[in-house]
Amino acid sequence: MDILFLLVPLSVLLALAVMGLLAWAVWSGQFEDMEREGERILQEGEEKRL
Amino acid sequence: MRAAVFSPLRPVGQTGSDNTLGTDDLKVFDDPEDWVAFSRSVDAPASDVLWESQVVVRGMHCAACSLTLEQALLGVKGVLAAHVSAASGRASITWSSTLTRPSLWLAAPLTLGYQLLPASDAFDVNDSRQQARLVLWRWLVAGFCMMQVMMYAAPAYFSQPGDISPDIERLLRWASWVLCLPVLIFSSQPFFTSALRDLRRRAISMDLPVALGIAVTFAVSTAATFEPMGWWGREVYFDSLSMFVFFLLTGRFLEQRLRSRTAGSLGALMQRLQTSVERQTADGHFERVPTRRLRVGDVMRVMPGETFAADGTIVVGDTLADEALLTGESRPVPRGLGASVMAGSYNLENAVQVRVDQVGADTRYAQVVALMQRAAVEKPRLAVMADKVAKPFLVFVLLAAALTVAFWWRTDPSHALMAAVAVLVVTCPCALSLATPTALLTSAGLFARYGVLVRHLQAIESLADVDTIIFDKTGTLTDASMGLRHLQTREGITDAMALQLASGLALHSLHPASRALVTAAALACGGVSASWGLRINDVRAIAGQGLEGQLSGVGMVGVSGTLRLGSARFCQIEDFSSDAMQVWLADDLGWIARFELDETVRQDAEKAVASLQEKGFELHVLSGDREATARHVAHRLGINALNVHGDCTPQTKLALMQTLQQQGSKVLMVGDGLNDGPVLAAANASVAVGLAVPLAQAQSDFVMPGAQLLMLPEMLAHARRSMRVVRQNLWWAAVYNAICVPLALAGWLPAWLAGLGMAFSSLLVVANAARLSHLKGGA
Repeated sequence: MDILFLLVPLSVLLALAVMGLLAWAVWSGQFEDMEREGERILQEGEEKRL
Repeated sequence: MRAAVFSPLRPVGQTGSDNTLGTDDLKVFDDPEDWVAFSRSVDAPASDVLWESQVVVRGMHCAACSLTLEQALLGVKGVLAAHVSAASGRASITWSSTLTRPSLWLAAPLTLGYQLLPASDAFDVNDSRQQARLVLWRWLVAGFCMMQVMMYAAPAYFSQPGDISPDIERLLRWASWVLCLPVLIFSSQPFFTSALRDLRRRAISMDLPVALGIAVTFAVSTAATFEPMGWWGREVYFDSLSMFVFFLLTGRFLEQRLRSRTAGSLGALMQRLQTSVERQTADGHFERVPTRRLRVGDVMRVMPGETFAADGTIVVGDTLADEALLTGESRPVPRGLGASVMAGSYNLENAVQVRVDQVGADTRYAQVVALMQRAAVEKPRLAVMADKVAKPFLVFVLLAAALTVAFWWRTDPSHALMAAVAVLVVTCPCALSLATPTALLTSAGLFARYGVLVRHLQAIESLADVDTIIFDKTGTLTDASMGLRHLQTREGITDAMALQLASGLALHSLHPASRALVTAAALACGGVSASWGLRINDVRAIAGQGLEGQLSGVGMVGVSGTLRLGSARFCQIEDFSSDAMQVWLADDLGWIARFELDETVRQDAEKAVASLQEKGFELHVLSGDREATARHVAHRLGINALNVHGDCTPQTKLALMQTLQQQGSKVLMVGDGLNDGPVLAAANASVAVGLAVPLAQAQSDFVMPGAQLLMLPEMLAHARRSMRVVRQNLWWAAVYNAICVPLALAGWLPAWLAGLGMAFSSLLVVANAARLSHLKGGA
């Protein structure tokens, strides 16, 4: 069970990392417009940018 | 929004070019003084090069539009970033003032069919968006940490004693502690700040018990983690802590969203004025200026699809206006030459020129907005009562928690603390305090959508008790204008001819009787047509008596000489008396026609009266007019003649109403507010209909600018429904506390369940109130 001494702290770090991601998502407005990003892929003209 | 709100779509067949702002017009926003109204500097404060502007987008239909628009904006040189939100219909644009000007990027999407308008409330919106993000973020942190902490806590729940080695147990506690820190420091911050703020003001708020609960739980658990041998025992409650913080935040989060949906209907109203208008310059041209530069007396041109930026009078042209949000009138209303138009209403049909009569805070629109804002912040009587109860209740909660600790302390200090925490958390004065205002505010929002303004939330309470309704006659049951009831002509003259002649004269006067004749003529023969060869010269108005003019031209058989329109005496006719108001038409040969006029009963009055009587309300009519006229109107509407009183002065009206009140009736007074102000003020509840008096001066509880009487039965029913919901809410809050507090005192309620209970109880109250956001059965 010694592996827990590594895995538990790792899980704490992982949780903090996920929270960092969530922070980015919230503060860049990812939850404010649910439809648009989904439809971006259907948009013509977007390919020209590639 | 339902049928009552007319969507400001462009009339079919209008091309885009004449009702959007042209490129030149947009130049008004190129003045830095003007662009700061919707922009702010986003780089180092000294340089003022980079600006972020907030605009409202018109013409966007779907999410895909927002991408097209973004690309169009980014195509403009000097635009660094563009974010368009399809959901809110807004965009924020970052641009450099050295490379571009607002007019350039505002014009860019025009060719694609979108119109950008500077958003004057830009930074309110920005602030509320930041606020919404913060709330969401706090909630996510609490939720995520809660899940993770549960993971660490689970082994302790499912294992037998001794299964987990002490060092691993300590490790898990450590991990829980670390992940509880964000919950404590970050997610619980609103509870702490608000509790501290109130403590400093020496007040007790609902957040105090919660904050105390959180602090105590965390302190006990932390002590147990680092010093398991102390008196506080070796139990940790990190899972409970994170869970009840999460539940509480969930409750607040949902509650806030429900509430902001109500407030949203107010927001829609505020964002209606044009930010710029076309004003006539001294040489007769039109230039576009920001709305705030508009002054009384200016002439502005308003294109179809635009809103009127100020109250005014139409001086050129005629059109249809949509005044739905201001008066509740869902159909477009015709506004011709000389008609007044209201700020905030939409011009639907033609370009018109309007002389500005009132700007800014003086406009009826501004009054409406102010009225609604004030009503929204005012606390109704029941809510004040609930708040009064809440304070001793909180003291009781704190005392109860202290007693719990004292009682359990001897047997088990750790259990004592946690029982006290449960007591602190589970008692929910929130539900008690929220019960009334949420319900009444939702109803007020609904009324506003149907064009009824609520001046005091409390009035909804009084409205629910009403059993007797008193109507004023003139201006309430009847229109202010008159209608032609009866027409009598001399031999050889047809009705149409008589009307033609009369309206030829009446056109020159604005007297209500004249207008009634013109309207009647227009209905009978499609207006004054030239085909009769009718010409009346030298029309003179003789004050207080009538009109006279010389008939010339050909074709009118049997009429000649001087035409007179007016009272019997003016037309030199012996009066044969009649109850009704009459107007005579005469020429040199004697009388031509006799027009009997009466007030037109409002179209919906009959239906409204029938529906109210069906629901068992007692109806009365009080009128300053002659008894016979009042009875006539009442008879047409089917109101019992015993309940009709004519020849009333404001004093007798008041006396009659007070008699009714002494007999135990709860009276709703419906009047136009013109001469029945004291009666409106003294009634249990009152509705002012029409636009006879300025809103701010109306002494009534409700104002119904559109005079849609059919709303009355709906309002009464809805008020009763609102009070039912309020009572349900108060009962629920009381029962909930009566059950949960003893459980918590006994120590049978874990802290997490207490948090869930509290969140649930507030939510139930708010959700129950949300049921009031629609009229029953729709309308």
